Amino acid sequence: MINLKNLLKMISYQENLEREGFILKETKDEQMKAGKDDQKIPPGKKEGSTGEDKKKHGRRSFRKPVPSSGANEQKSGEFDLISVFLEENRKTITQLYDLPKNKDVVIRNFTIGTAPPVRCFGLFIDGLTNTTLQDLLFQAMMAFAEQTSPLGRGKLVELVKESLLPGNQVVVKSSLRDILDGVNYGDTAFFLEGCSKALLVETKGWERRGVERPQIEQTISGPQEAFTETLRTNTALLRKLLKSEQLSTEILTVGSRIKTYVAVMYLRDLANPDLVAEVRRRIEGIKVDFVADSGVLEQFIEDHPYNLNPTILSTERPDRVASKIVEGKVAILVDGSPLTLVVPTTMYEQLHTGEETYRSWQAGTYIRYLRAMAFLVSFLLPGMYLSLVLFHHEMFPTELLLAIAGNREKVPFPSIIEVLLMEFSLELIREAGLRIPGVMGSTIGIVGALILGQAAVQANIVSPILVILVAITGLASFAIPYYSLAFSTRIYRFFYIALGVTLGFFGIAIGLFVHGILAANLKSFGAPYLAPTGPRTEAGADVITRLPVFFHEKRPDYVNPQDATRQPRVSRQWIKKDKGD
Amino acid sequence: MKMIKEGAFGPAEAIILLAISNIARLFLPYPRSLVEIGGSAAWMTPLGGLVIALAGVYVMSVILNKYPGKTIIEITEEAFGPVVGTLLNLVTVSFFMAVGSLFTREFSEAMIIAALPETPISVISVAFLAMGLTGAYLGIEALARVSRLSYPYVLGGISVLLLVMIPQLDIHNLFPLFGNGPLVVFGQGAISTAGITEIILAAVLVQAMGGAKQFRSIGFRAMLIAFGFSVALLATLTLSIHHYSLSELTLPFYKLSSMIYLGRFFQRVEAVFVIIWSIVGALKIALTLYGAAVSLARLLKLPDYRPLIWPLGLLIFTFSLLPTDMTATISLDLQFLRPFTFVPNYLFPVLIMIAYWLRRRGSSAGR
Repeated sequence: MINLKNLLKMISYQENLEREGFILKETKDEQMKAGKDDQKIPPGKKEGSTGEDKKKHGRRSFRKPVPSSGANEQKSGEFDLISVFLEENRKTITQLYDLPKNKDVVIRNFTIGTAPPVRCFGLFIDGLTNTTLQDLLFQAMMAFAEQTSPLGRGKLVELVKESLLPGNQVVVKSSLRDILDGVNYGDTAFFLEGCSKALLVETKGWERRGVERPQIEQTISGPQEAFTETLRTNTALLRKLLKSEQLSTEILTVGSRIKTYVAVMYLRDLANPDLVAEVRRRIEGIKVDFVADSGVLEQFIEDHPYNLNPTILSTERPDRVASKIVEGKVAILVDGSPLTLVVPTTMYEQLHTGEETYRSWQAGTYIRYLRAMAFLVSFLLPGMYLSLVLFHHEMFPTELLLAIAGNREKVPFPSIIEVLLMEFSLELIREAGLRIPGVMGSTIGIVGALILGQAAVQANIVSPILVILVAITGLASFAIPYYSLAFSTRIYRFFYIALGVTLGFFGIAIGLFVHGILAANLKSFGAPYLAPTGPRTEAGADVITRLPVFFHEKRPDYVNPQDATRQPRVSRQWIKKDKGD
Repeated sequence: MKMIKEGAFGPAEAIILLAISNIARLFLPYPRSLVEIGGSAAWMTPLGGLVIALAGVYVMSVILNKYPGKTIIEITEEAFGPVVGTLLNLVTVSFFMAVGSLFTREFSEAMIIAALPETPISVISVAFLAMGLTGAYLGIEALARVSRLSYPYVLGGISVLLLVMIPQLDIHNLFPLFGNGPLVVFGQGAISTAGITEIILAAVLVQAMGGAKQFRSIGFRAMLIAFGFSVALLATLTLSIHHYSLSELTLPFYKLSSMIYLGRFFQRVEAVFVIIWSIVGALKIALTLYGAAVSLARLLKLPDYRPLIWPLGLLIFTFSLLPTDMTATISLDLQFLRPFTFVPNYLFPVLIMIAYWLRRRGSSAGR
């Protein structure tokens, strides 16, 4: 019989239950969200117990899922107080950090060399701390402690803080949550026997990138420093430039599961208090489990997430942020992000760089006008070309028209296909150029220039004039200094292509009108996005035309700072002096 | 009652907004009708109109100052009571609708003549309507800002056009100096050019423009700019094309822009002006639609005007397609709209003044 069963097994189909290997099954949280748990009967109640109960279930067929983060908070809340028993604390921490499985969390047991000796343990995360500094701390407590006087109840912590620990920032905490937050951020905690408080010593010292040259916003003149990924380094870079006791750095936290520190910096005597309060309100009002970068925070706090135009300025240059803070604006720095956000901002400001301010006003103005042209060209040119070729050929002088027609004669595609083909290729080159591994960097130039430029023309797939046109559009787009704004023009360009190809210049006019009115409707933290032209506010000396520095008497009107005057009417006082002589 | 949220804008924007709204008619067959009235003196016709328009602004400002914090819609209702007042206000709303419809049609026809000869008119009207709806929906604040933003291009473009025509001007075209006679030029011309939309529009928007106190200076300046451009454009037109030929052109402005000739390269640039005039047209349509919606919302005491935009926009679109052709549209403009403009712009304010005066007399007599 057994053999027959085996034989049958061998010749018949058997479902392979192991086939799928590892399957990621739904968690309890997900099941609850799907509403499956609703059918469960609460313990202690029989099926179909009371009518009221039924009614409840009937009316509300799903149960609101308990946020997992909330559950976590509750869990950690149980352990929030530090025990006076060292062993109990050790047990709690072992449990919380899942020790000894968790290998980078270290508990270092030792004894303070007082008389009588006190048992302690230090808690830190390996790799996040500065070991040299830690050695010094342990040395001080273990070897050099010679306190002999009898210690009163609860005095030990104060004694250690005052006389034994040489750390530059030592705080006493009674909440375990605070201690864990510190340890997770690179501090070292010391728990002492018989104390219901613990000491938290600043020992942050993880591997980090140094302050380097700006990568995205390069300038020829001006400082050559850029922000890094470390919040403290970034705040220090700003403090270094703005040497004032009026500079405030508020630290807020975002994220319920993983906390991200966000610094809000402004000058107390300058920034509009309402603006600061609004920034604080928006950041504190974010309910999210984790914010990875300033780009994510930007999306959470911006006024108009459905418009393509960026309404928050993000920059990697401390000098730029410093100059904005001095205008009365507010900077938002996110831990782990080398880009700092500045609010409020305007479109004109997004077309500026420090370069124009650091150079003579003539050069600055010239560059600004060039950039303004580039801004328009970056989204209008292909659409305009199509309108001209398809609807308004009379605008071309005859020779140029003949040249274009001659070039296009051999090309088998209609103009729109040609333009879309080239635009798509350019977009591909851009995207591929960003993603290509560094070692293969030169490949993109060869592929882009040779294959898409020369070869496409030789193969009569596109006309040479279009290659020039698309190249100019690309160059114009690269000339826009703010990457997010440049990106928006990349997308707007396709709208203008569609409008130009369907309705000619009338289509372009539709695009300009709608684009303009949507942009005029935008606000950046209460300031109009197109200020100072739409609406007309006091223009100041720094919009497109950059007047000489001694004319920059007022801060931007739209910021409504506490002190609008930047400098007196005659800022070059030496002129007055000369007159008096 | 919850107030209608209109936003606010400064006097600079208000002046530009009203001036651009007034200039819009210059791109249409309107200058031609003035040439028909004035002949070689067509450029003088707006002078009489300016005087009437300034007087209209003055009367309106007097009324608005007597009722601070209110717009003309509430004032009319207060002056004439709920029944007559509502009826008069409905006339105002229908005036905005008529202007919106006729301008949509005329701009669409002009676009067909100038740029898109093979495009069906409904497509162009829908495009204008879409721009108007967007503008009206986003509100007067955004419209004012966008007009402030576009004015360097609009007024600058017209100025450039006038400048580059200098080589082609012929002073002999200006004579006889008083054209068809001073009486016709200043009398008929004044009546024809005084038919504007902006006085009643400004009176509806007065609270968004910063209240009644600013109304007079804003209105005066806007009228001076707009009529100044009218005079300059008409002068350039009569100087560059003889008025006999001019009175045969459907779109004189378009003809003027197509005459630009600065060497071999810069010629036939009229298509560029298509951009300017469609933006002005869209602004005008958005403004009248907004005016209609806000007036109706105030009349019906609604807390928001935006739900009215879509139905009113659709009505404007439908009405705009009713005239059989361009000729019918132009004759409607001449025979119906131009007399109609006098009703809300000049007649109602005078009636309100009389009502106000009678009431005051009645109340003082009662005392």
